[in-house]
Amino acid sequence: MIGNVYQTVCPGCNMGCGLYIREDEEGALAVDFMKSSPANLGKLCRFGMKLAHHYSKATSMVDGNEVSVEDAIKAASDKLKGADVTMLGVGNTTNEESLAFSKIADALGTVVNTGMGVYSELPTECHPTVGVGITLDDIESANRIALFVDPYIQYPLLVRRILAAKKNGASVVSVGWKDLNLADENRYIDPDMYESELGLDSESVIIADVHPNTDPGWVKRMLNLALKTQAKILFMKPFVNATGVDLLCKGTGQKGISEIMDGINEGSIKTLVTLNSDPIELMPDGDAAAATLTKLDNLIVITSRDGPVNKMADIVIATEPLYAKAGSFMNVEGLLLNNSGESTTGIDAMSSLNQNLGGEAMDYQSLHNNVLESIVQKYTKPKYKELACEVLDIGPVEEKGNLIYLFNPFMWFDQPDDNDFVMVNMNMVNKLGLGKGGMIALTSDAGTVNMRYRVEDMPDGLILTAKKLPVATGWTTIVSTEAV
Amino acid sequence: MVNVGDMLVGYATDEDVRKRGASGGLVTAVLAAALEKGLVENVVVMKHINEFEAVPIITDDVDEVLASTGSLHSVPVNLAKYAMGRKVAMPAKPCDTQAVIEQAKRDMIDLDNTYVVGLNCGGSMHPVTTKKMLVAMYDIDPEDVVGEDIEKGKLIFKTKNGEEKAIAIDELEEAGFGRRESCRFCTLKIPVNADLACGNWGVIGDLAGSATFCQVMNDKGVKLLENAIEAGRIEVEPASDKAIAIRAKVNDVMVNLGSTLEKEIFPEIPDEERVQYYMDQMADCIDCGACKEVCPVCACGEDSKCTMFHSLVDNYKMSMYHLVRLLHLSDSCIACGQCSDVCPSDIPITLLQSRFAIPSQRKREYTPGMNVDDVPPFFEVILK
Repeated sequence: MIGNVYQTVCPGCNMGCGLYIREDEEGALAVDFMKSSPANLGKLCRFGMKLAHHYSKATSMVDGNEVSVEDAIKAASDKLKGADVTMLGVGNTTNEESLAFSKIADALGTVVNTGMGVYSELPTECHPTVGVGITLDDIESANRIALFVDPYIQYPLLVRRILAAKKNGASVVSVGWKDLNLADENRYIDPDMYESELGLDSESVIIADVHPNTDPGWVKRMLNLALKTQAKILFMKPFVNATGVDLLCKGTGQKGISEIMDGINEGSIKTLVTLNSDPIELMPDGDAAAATLTKLDNLIVITSRDGPVNKMADIVIATEPLYAKAGSFMNVEGLLLNNSGESTTGIDAMSSLNQNLGGEAMDYQSLHNNVLESIVQKYTKPKYKELACEVLDIGPVEEKGNLIYLFNPFMWFDQPDDNDFVMVNMNMVNKLGLGKGGMIALTSDAGTVNMRYRVEDMPDGLILTAKKLPVATGWTTIVSTEAV
Repeated sequence: MVNVGDMLVGYATDEDVRKRGASGGLVTAVLAAALEKGLVENVVVMKHINEFEAVPIITDDVDEVLASTGSLHSVPVNLAKYAMGRKVAMPAKPCDTQAVIEQAKRDMIDLDNTYVVGLNCGGSMHPVTTKKMLVAMYDIDPEDVVGEDIEKGKLIFKTKNGEEKAIAIDELEEAGFGRRESCRFCTLKIPVNADLACGNWGVIGDLAGSATFCQVMNDKGVKLLENAIEAGRIEVEPASDKAIAIRAKVNDVMVNLGSTLEKEIFPEIPDEERVQYYMDQMADCIDCGACKEVCPVCACGEDSKCTMFHSLVDNYKMSMYHLVRLLHLSDSCIACGQCSDVCPSDIPITLLQSRFAIPSQRKREYTPGMNVDDVPPFFEVILK
């Protein structure tokens, strides 16, 4: 065979879209469609189609100098011995690497944080349902679907599932930020009215999402809606193995990414080790996150990609690209998906690091067997886990700004896309006197940015963006507007 | 000695290749010989993963060619783009061959360096739909399938325990399964546009199931066959008049079925409703660009009119991307179905493109992908 062809899973979210990565003789990458893939039938969204750009090769570094991976491991071992360490692994890599990372955490007497702070705010009995939702096939047989995400922008491979459900007789209500073409009803109602207004019952499905910046109160509201209406629920997540890593790290700290950044700012966290998790990409305000990371004594990055955090790291331990790794992922419905890659460079590096820290040697096969034993037995045949918790106290709801992020894979991975605009409604266009081809100036405490705009049917006053903006300080930001 | 126009029946001389290959392994053996004797530098083959998945690979290894999979009706891939920039031999359905020829017209493939071994095709199926069909219609666990075939209008599956179960394709398609929609209205079943046109139609008597009917279409076809004979990889004999007649009859049945289904698949839309129809069909597009990426006749590369005139910031009811593509492909669309296969919103793009392109192509008496000397009606620049 000329070049290499890898069967892998798209890292853009945890839908579990199968695909092939074709690596030619010169190392150039191309995406090929894997039509037998159960989650996506070979279909890919715009992020998946641009995956060749995503796999930027990482280089092992110590203090900004390129070194061998062995030297990077040795330097990391020296820094970590006796240190008070915080570890972050959001699920952008295989189950096996995530498990190896957990074993390093054991050796250091700490835990792996998944960055999903919402879990620590939820009763453990509802974690299985948040982690593994209704199956993708079952969406198609729902009688009614309530959407709390914009599938076109955020989780595009949901679109065909929802359209299939409509063909089968389902009605679709969108309770989002803008009108969706596939929705029979687009509602902008008070959250207290969801139960009485959305017409959900035990044959219905609620589709929402959970990510590192999710307001826990919002997730509790979704869970309460499911509990009160008996509707089933699916929480999409932004990382390919978010479900797997959640199951592997069950019972650990589950510190949220914001909590970790707060800890660094307050000085309680001095050493951070990340596994394929870039805080600059994960935080809504990347510049603020970068400034925070400079306060660390030690930033050690284990990664297969050349993300912005690599440039700030004291040590980078570079591993092979995600598509080339031996290993498995678990998608949002609990289906185990395997890479065809056979490389274990990342696991071997973590094994060396673990031994240097006083832990045991690790090998791929043992880790894989461990994964199969610990999480797969319960989840190989996806089945919905009924909610086992009581109705939750929602607590104070986070105050929202008028500029709202529609998180999507390009934003989570700081990847360029041609969505360099914001979405506003016609009333705002008229109010500001915006002309065709004009720009809208957005001003917040973080400064001003001029953006092109697209008109959408959406509530008055809101501005939506699917691109990270320098004026944003959180997933919502208060901004003032004027025409330029 | 082989001549253009010859109708032959043949098979691989290697017993193992003959047994494993579809219909006597002649195609596999011809491809292997082309590589072995230096007629080409590479061969495009499908590497078998399971009965529902195979991945195209480019190889310079004869053993890899010999180990490649035979026909898989539920692996609907178009191989044309894998031939680009290489001195290559490849198996090809009629639509693969059409795409090769359209790319050659655009100087993306050099036909002098591309040897196309055509395969008869009654249609292909989507793998996931096929798995669902096995459970719903055949009561067969997809994991138990070890082989499949199409014969006398029936789709046959063979299982691990040696059983065979056949159901009429009509019945499957009425139940919402069976062939991909683009294959149902296709009327090019024998790849007469390839260098060799091969298949099992017309293989009768003792050779049924263990030999291939092969029509030599041009000088490159002569070279391919003579090369394989000289290498000792195949044996051929003239096809009987009866075999030739049976092949033609099967083809007539398939072509007529395609013509009939075309009328069902493309019901008339009143003029005043057409724009709205296209807008409604395209409304769920997520702008992934997969339909362009996978299109085997698109030769534009990244900087193309359909993408240059399109921007996500635009508010058009139907994007410039789709409008430009409808126009741009109206002379070259071969209705291969790849764009529909990969559309993440399940938009029936092939049907939309075909609805637009077929009347235009017929009006200009032009069928894309049949002859490299036929100039596309809307060609911008005549190359070479």
